[in-house]
Amino acid sequence: MASATSNPYTDDVSLLIVLMDTNPYFWGAMNGAAAFSQFLNQVLPFLNSILLLNQLNQLVVIATGVNSCDYLYDSSRVGHESEKRSTKGIPGHSLEILQKLEDFIAKDQQLSNSDEAPGKICSLLSGSLSLALCYIQRILRTGPVHPQPRILCLQASPDGSEQYVAIMNAIFSAQRSMVPIDSCVVGSEDSAFLQQASYITGGVYQKPQHLDGLFQCLSMVFATDLHSRRFLKLPTPTGVDFRASCFCHKEPIGMGYVCSVCLSIFCKYHTKCSTCG
Amino acid sequence: MDFRPSRMAVVANSVEAFIREFFDQNPLSHIGLATIKDGLAHRLTELSGSPESHIRALRSNLGSSGDASLQNALDLVHSYLEQIPSYGHREVIILYSALSTCDPDDVMESIKKCKKAKIRCSVVGLSAEIYICKHLCEETGGSYTVALDESHFKELLLEHAPAPPAIAEFAVSNLVKMGFPQRRGEGVVTICSCHKEPKTGGGYTCPRCKACACELPTECQICGLTLISSPHLARSYHHLFPITPFEGGLATLPYNSLQRLPKTCFGCQQVLPNLGNKSGVRVSCPRCKQHFCVDCDIYIHESLHNCPGCESLRDFKREGDATSDSNVFSNKRPVLFVGQQRN
Repeated sequence: MASATSNPYTDDVSLLIVLMDTNPYFWGAMNGAAAFSQFLNQVLPFLNSILLLNQLNQLVVIATGVNSCDYLYDSSRVGHESEKRSTKGIPGHSLEILQKLEDFIAKDQQLSNSDEAPGKICSLLSGSLSLALCYIQRILRTGPVHPQPRILCLQASPDGSEQYVAIMNAIFSAQRSMVPIDSCVVGSEDSAFLQQASYITGGVYQKPQHLDGLFQCLSMVFATDLHSRRFLKLPTPTGVDFRASCFCHKEPIGMGYVCSVCLSIFCKYHTKCSTCG
Repeated sequence: MDFRPSRMAVVANSVEAFIREFFDQNPLSHIGLATIKDGLAHRLTELSGSPESHIRALRSNLGSSGDASLQNALDLVHSYLEQIPSYGHREVIILYSALSTCDPDDVMESIKKCKKAKIRCSVVGLSAEIYICKHLCEETGGSYTVALDESHFKELLLEHAPAPPAIAEFAVSNLVKMGFPQRRGEGVVTICSCHKEPKTGGGYTCPRCKACACELPTECQICGLTLISSPHLARSYHHLFPITPFEGGLATLPYNSLQRLPKTCFGCQQVLPNLGNKSGVRVSCPRCKQHFCVDCDIYIHESLHNCPGCESLRDFKREGDATSDSNVFSNKRPVLFVGQQRN
C-alpha cells in the first residue's frame, strides 16, 4: 500500500489525451489556411498551460485525420530532442507537435483516393478514440498509482454515420474504465455522437460560439482536472437527443418497432425484419 | 471448504455483483428474484429492469431455514415466465447449496414442463454435484457448475451475465413497439409517474402519452410502452459485429522481414521487444496488419470491441475493397445515424 509520502500523484494530477481533428475538407472550406492556423494559435498555448498547471501532468496528442489517425506527441516519452531546442519564444514541444502535424497531414493526404467524392467527408473519430483508450489502459495497468486520465475531443467535422457502432463501443468502454470524454465542437453543427459520449461518460460538452475565444473556453472549462471539477460549476447539457433513427428512412423517430433478434429499428410495422429475415 | 463469513453473505455479495453486471451487458432485460425456504418457494421481486429494487429486496431478506425443494422452485419459475412473449429468452439460474431436494410430487414432471416452455435452467452448486441438478440442466440446455471456493463461485456466476448464443430455430423475429423518449432540459417542473411527486428538470417524456419517467429503460406507467434510449440498443451491437481475433505466430516470417516490423504497439505505443524466436509477445490483426501488444489484444477483444487499426484506416471502412479478402470479413454495418440536434 503506497503511503502518503511515496505517492507522487496527488488528486489533481491528470493525463489529458487531446484528439485533434485535422480534416482538410472542413478547414479548407472555412477560410483556407488562416482558419487552421488560428485554431492552432489557440490550442497550442492551451496544451502548454496543461503542462504548466502541474509538474506531473501528462499530455498526449492524437491527430484525427480523414484517412488515418496517429500519435503526434507524448509528454512522458523520455529523450525528447525538443527539450534542447526552443526557437523564437516557441517552446520545444510545440515545435515538435507542429512538425509531426505537418508530416501527418502530408501522409494523410497521400492516402486519400482520387475518386473519393469530396462532399461531406468526416474524420475517423472512432479510430482516435480507440487509440486513446488503448493508451489509457496501458497507464491504468501500471498499478494503483497513476494520474487521472481523461479525453478531450476537438471536433470540427460532422458525424459519420458509418462510425456509429464503433464510437458507441468506445464510449461504453470509456464508461467502464471511468474515463470522461470532454468535447469541444468547433464545427458548424452540434455533434450528436459527442453529446451522447459526454453525457454517458460524465464529461463536458461545449460548442463555443466564436473561434476567436477558443483559448478562453478551453482554459476555463477543459483545463480543470477531475478532482477540482467537483467544486466548479461547469456547463450542463441543454438537451441530449437519444432518439434513434429508423433504418429505412434515416429519420429520427420517437416511437418505432425494434426487431427482437437483431435490434434493427423500423418506423412502420413489417411482418419480416429486412436485416435478419 | 466453507464460505466466510457465511454462505449466505458470500452468495448475497456475488448476486449483487451479478445483477449490476447483468444489467450492464443486457440493458433491455428483466430479472426477478425468488427464494427457496422451508420446502417452499417465494417470490422476492417481480420481473423488472431496475437493479436497485432487486438489491434492496435481496439485502433485506437474507434469512435461511429448512429444506430446499427443487420442484416448488421450478413450478414458481414456470408460472413467472410462461406469460413472457415468445421473442423473450427465458432463463433461470438456481444457486443451490443443499445436498437433496424435498418435493411434494414428481420432480421429473416439473422438469418436463420447463423443457416444454423453453425455459433454460442453469445451476451453480455450492456443495457437491447432485444428479437431479445435472439432469435438469441437461434436459433444458443449461449449464451446471459447482464452485470450489468463494472466488470461483463469483466467477461461475458472472459467466452467466453475457447472453448465451441464441438457437436459430427458437429465435423468432418479432417487431416490438418501443418508444425513444427525449431527455428534458433542466429547469422544467413536472410530476413524474414513478414517484408521484414533482420533479425539477431531468427525466424523460413518453412519446405516446407524454407522461414523465425518471430513468431508462422502463415501461411507461400510464400507457405501457417500453421506453429505451439508443445507447441501450447500441450496447448489444458488438455481438452483431464482432472483430476478428488477432494472430500471433510471426515466427514463420523470413529473417530479413523481421527487421522491418514496427517497434511499438499500434494501440498504446508501448515498445515491443525484438522477436528472436518468440512469437507470443506481439499479435497482429489479419485485416489491417497492424501489430499490437498482448495486453492491448486482451483489452480490445474483451472490452473495446473495436480494432484501432481497422478504425484508423479509411480503406477498411469502404465496402467491396478489391485488394482485401472479402471472405474473411464482411464490411456490412448498418448506417445508423442516431439523433440530430433538436433546437
